[in-house]
Amino acid sequence: MSTSHLTDLIEVRGLEKSFGDQQVLKGVDFSAESGTVSVLLGPSGSGKTTVLRSLNVLETPDSGLVRISDASLDFGSPPTDKSAYRRAVKALRARSGMVFQSHNLFPHKTVLGNLIEGPVQVQGRDRDEAAAAARQLLEQVGLAGREDAYPSQLSGGQQQRVGIARALALKPEVLLLDEPTSALDPELVGEVLAVIRDLAAENWTLVIVTHEVRFARDVADQVLFLDGGVVAERGGAEVLTDPREERTQRFLSRVLDAG
Amino acid sequence: MRLTRPLLLLAVISAALLGFAGSASADEGDRPVVRVGTEGVYPPFSYRDQDTNELTGFDIDVVKAVAEEAGWDLKFVEAPFDSLFPALDSDRIDVIANQVAINPERKARYLFSTPYTYSHGVIVTAVDNDDITTLDDLKGRTTAQTASSNWAQVAKDAGAKVQYVQDFGPGVELLIQGRVDAIVNDNIAVLDYLATSGTDEVKIAGDAGDEILEQALTFRKSDADLQQQANDAMKALTDDGTLAKISDGYFGADVTVQSGSEDVDVEASDSRTTWEVVKDTAWPMFVGLIKGNIPLTLASFVIGMVLAVGAALARLSSSRILDWIARAYISVIRGTPLLVQLFIVFYGLPQIGIDLDPYPAAIVALSLNVGGYAAEVVRASILSVPRGQYEAATVVGMDYWQSMRRIVLPQAARIAVPPLSNTLLSLIKDTALASLVLVPELFREAQVTAAATTEYLPLYAMAALYFWVVCYLVSVVQGPLERRLGRYVA
Repeated sequence: MSTSHLTDLIEVRGLEKSFGDQQVLKGVDFSAESGTVSVLLGPSGSGKTTVLRSLNVLETPDSGLVRISDASLDFGSPPTDKSAYRRAVKALRARSGMVFQSHNLFPHKTVLGNLIEGPVQVQGRDRDEAAAAARQLLEQVGLAGREDAYPSQLSGGQQQRVGIARALALKPEVLLLDEPTSALDPELVGEVLAVIRDLAAENWTLVIVTHEVRFARDVADQVLFLDGGVVAERGGAEVLTDPREERTQRFLSRVLDAG
Repeated sequence: MRLTRPLLLLAVISAALLGFAGSASADEGDRPVVRVGTEGVYPPFSYRDQDTNELTGFDIDVVKAVAEEAGWDLKFVEAPFDSLFPALDSDRIDVIANQVAINPERKARYLFSTPYTYSHGVIVTAVDNDDITTLDDLKGRTTAQTASSNWAQVAKDAGAKVQYVQDFGPGVELLIQGRVDAIVNDNIAVLDYLATSGTDEVKIAGDAGDEILEQALTFRKSDADLQQQANDAMKALTDDGTLAKISDGYFGADVTVQSGSEDVDVEASDSRTTWEVVKDTAWPMFVGLIKGNIPLTLASFVIGMVLAVGAALARLSSSRILDWIARAYISVIRGTPLLVQLFIVFYGLPQIGIDLDPYPAAIVALSLNVGGYAAEVVRASILSVPRGQYEAATVVGMDYWQSMRRIVLPQAARIAVPPLSNTLLSLIKDTALASLVLVPELFREAQVTAAATTEYLPLYAMAALYFWVVCYLVSVVQGPLERRLGRYVA
């Protein structure tokens, strides 16, 4: 792990968040270098999804700092000017792409329509150029030729691969994946993990919330084990085979027994 | 009559919001344009000619002769009798030519010309009713009258209960059906009806008192000039025998002088068969549909949808003020009759300076109505779009309006089509009310001819048929539209 935060692509410091009177995040810190895969795991309610969703402000932390590349936002003392705040949120969001647990594809748009919606409508890119790039991405996720299908005509695994391609189409610096295989039938999990494996091999910077421990062992450069709203253990992939903390061990044995 | 301030304010804001501002102009060029309000359904005084479908009748001929003499250009506005006085008050017409009888209450509010008709009241009953022959016999009985007619007052003064009807013809139908006991009306109108309908089911049972009624052109208090010009013209027309000639043509007697009404001989104002009437009216009704109901429906639906989406988004917004405004709007629209809304916009708003022409007024009222009803449909449809769709739109970088326009509303539209089709069908049928704010439309044409010919069932059935055909065509389009909007659903 690097100690110099200047070379880190992602930096998170002192993240706190409460829902009502329940404090879900109690000061989360971590950083990630460019081109690395960070895996967030932990028992349900540990706050791992909230951390991920804080990175693109789908959740607004109560305090703490989030920086991705050159965009940062200090939620403890955000810009008082509303439009300056909105600009900062927008800039932060523009640095990342998001893959949801339940894909959230736009059902009324074709596969191609889903992929070019952001590039054309938001980034103002040329439609033909965006479509060409989208076709390339579809090929990359193994869905060449399906651009005219509607999401409802695809299997769950195909839908999730479109979801990944849609996130990549925005040309983000970081890809955030929120339990990308949890909603899938077991036989469809492999095809999605294969795509993510490829992305890791291509040196994409990934932050993944997942329960797939064996998969995480293969791809993780950094493992963050969250429990009770804090990072309970942090290390390389060895955390998954040889955890130091007892609660990490308990969690891993439970997950691996179940798997 | 004053309306309460909050209601007015709301109506003002709504009207201003829609950006309508119209005003009627009474003067153009050298000759003043005088707008004449008349029923068009009161033969032989004011009705449509069976061959030309042009407005004609004794009152029409008189006011035309007066205009010729006085140097006016005339513009006729047809409306139900009960709408004529509000129209005069709100400066939508300048004179009423519709056998308006002079009485003290009206004299206090309006100016009258020299009378041009002298008539007396008669009591009409079913032919087999021998119990009623004088006004005294009306005590405790039910009569059918037009609300703002002086005959309604005569009947009430005699102790009768009054059932209100829109004009004379429907009253006779009630009489034949045995739902009322009698009608009090002008002897000339009754004679015309008996001659035209050829009915042997009703009869003139006796005179309604011995009072002679005087009918005259009616003006606003502020239009003394018009009154003076009319009186000068009337005098000239009496002197050169023109009025007597017009009267003779209709009644075989001179009803423009006192004592003339006793010798009236009325010929039928319409002699066509039922089939001819239906055939002749089909085209005017179709024109009414094309020029009235359909444009009103299209404009009101489009504007209403914009209002509905706006109100739905306001209800869903985090702003409590917007939410409150939208709630108030929806509540007022859904909690008041469309008819009342139409009257407020058309007859009420001019009193605070917002003077809309008939079409814009009808569109404003109908749009506001549709918007209020559709807002909750749109809101429910928006709520049916999963939260994940908003999040997905957010993470591809869309702002609120982009995600609404590109992602949420297209999906909500699919959900909203079936209930909104109901709203559209209701709107099509509601446009039949527009004739009450002086917009010529299909049903008005049916009423006009029905009054002149007494062919109620065939004409109203044909009006119903027209509406049904249009609604059927709309429901035929609904299927393909639903499939088109739902093509992405597996």
